[in-house]
Amino acid sequence: MVNNKIEVKNFNCYYNHDHILKSLNINIIQNEILTIIGPANSGKTTFLKALNRMNDLNITYSYKGEIFLDKNSIFSMNMEKLRQRIGILFAIPLPLPMSIYENIVYAPKCLKIVNKKQDQDILVERSLKNAFLWNEVKDRLNLSAMKISGGQQQRLCIARTLAMNPEVILFDEPCSGLDHISTEKIETLMTELKYKYTILLVTNNVKQASRVGDKTAFFLNGELIEINQTDKFFISPKNKQTENYITGRYIIS
Amino acid sequence: MYYFGKNMRKILYIIIESIIFFCGILSIIFVILIFGFLFKESFVFLKNYNIVKFLFGRFWYPTLETALFGILPFICGSVLVSVGACIIAVPIGIMTALFISEVASKNIRNILKSLIELMAAIPSIVIGFIGMATIVPIVKNVFSIPTGLTAFTGSLMLAFMAIPTIVTISEDAIHSVPWQYREGALALGATKWQMMKIVILKIAMPGIMGAIMLGIGRVVGETMAVIMITGNAAHIPTSIFDPVRTLTATIATEMGETVKGGIHYKSLFAIGFVLFIITFIVNFIADIFLKKNKNL
Repeated sequence: MVNNKIEVKNFNCYYNHDHILKSLNINIIQNEILTIIGPANSGKTTFLKALNRMNDLNITYSYKGEIFLDKNSIFSMNMEKLRQRIGILFAIPLPLPMSIYENIVYAPKCLKIVNKKQDQDILVERSLKNAFLWNEVKDRLNLSAMKISGGQQQRLCIARTLAMNPEVILFDEPCSGLDHISTEKIETLMTELKYKYTILLVTNNVKQASRVGDKTAFFLNGELIEINQTDKFFISPKNKQTENYITGRYIIS
Repeated sequence: MYYFGKNMRKILYIIIESIIFFCGILSIIFVILIFGFLFKESFVFLKNYNIVKFLFGRFWYPTLETALFGILPFICGSVLVSVGACIIAVPIGIMTALFISEVASKNIRNILKSLIELMAAIPSIVIGFIGMATIVPIVKNVFSIPTGLTAFTGSLMLAFMAIPTIVTISEDAIHSVPWQYREGALALGATKWQMMKIVILKIAMPGIMGAIMLGIGRVVGETMAVIMITGNAAHIPTSIFDPVRTLTATIATEMGETVKGGIHYKSLFAIGFVLFIITFIVNFIADIFLKKNKNL
């Protein structure tokens, strides 16, 4: 049965008076990967941050419309609870300047999710295993997180997000600073994670969208141009602009 | 320049270079000279007087026939007043810094920052004077003690002087934590307060420690205000409501009465040397923390 995890209904948002997202209507289905592609400035990141209300930190931001998570409006939810349920991962991996172990347990400890040392150990192992990082770092959990490679740092950040036990994970160009091998690892990771979580992936890499997405959406100037099953999207795009973009003929107008 | 000959230009460069070099090295020379002078005078004193008796002697009778130069009461006084000042100034300073950089709106932030910088500009004699006229009688009445000139009063006023230093530097440290860290913490579901606790205090900690150390440096070296409000009694204090005398106050009050070149005169230099070492250590620790902050 198809289950709509997130429903976006006629959503608009603004920074100052700039209309960033224009009347979006998107359904995001549980346990699927939705990839969003589009040129710079098309509102992809703003859309992601609207979902867990990170945009609200900016005082010039305002919105109109509705977003539902499991049929409940996200705007009537407790903002902290919402962000625990919808985790986000940024383009630049940013581990805290402490050990790998501490990085994962720090937030759950502060938010009083785990207390006992035993539970912490279990949490660290589970999160790192889920992020496919356990085998690489299990012998050096006390090493500073700043000393591991960029790809490992990004997976550590994924593990940190997983430790909060979210339902939806938003990836904002998670591979933009990584090499092929790290990128491949993270892509495999995402296709594994979708069995437990719902995933949104914003990417500048059209090929990446075709590799990992179940569905793909194309954003242009804050509008949703096209959304479809990934294979159909890439083989027979309905919209001319989409076709131009995915074949690399996009010209900024 | 173009019209000068090649040799002329070379000479000009050499002159300019040596002027810059001279200016640069001047301050280093001054520090070394001061250190050398202090060391020379106190070395002569310590040759005539046992260093253990000097540092741990309990009595300071420099004018007796068999003069006693024990500075333990002054060390205790300095430490007591400084620790007291830190206990008051550090929490207030850090809270203020947090408020300014995280909570306050831009306008309030600007006003507060300039007010606090102004607070740092108040001359210490004025602070001592105000303390004597206002805080001293209040302390005397509130705690019903024979005199308001106590270590506690001194701590209060010194805290007032250390707060601007602590606030300004720790505010800089907190403010320079990259925005992404805050965003990351909030994205994990932290409230604003938890975010401050998780990220800001953790990452800005080296900078904040540096700020505290510089604040302590200011407190330890302060003279005028403590002379006026701590009571200047050369005995080992038993509580914070005892009058005390600090290292700095001893030098300032007695220097004028000594015979130049005499042993009393030299003993004051030795006190200066002890003070120099204390502030040097404090500054050194502050430096370590501040450097650590930059390497992050």
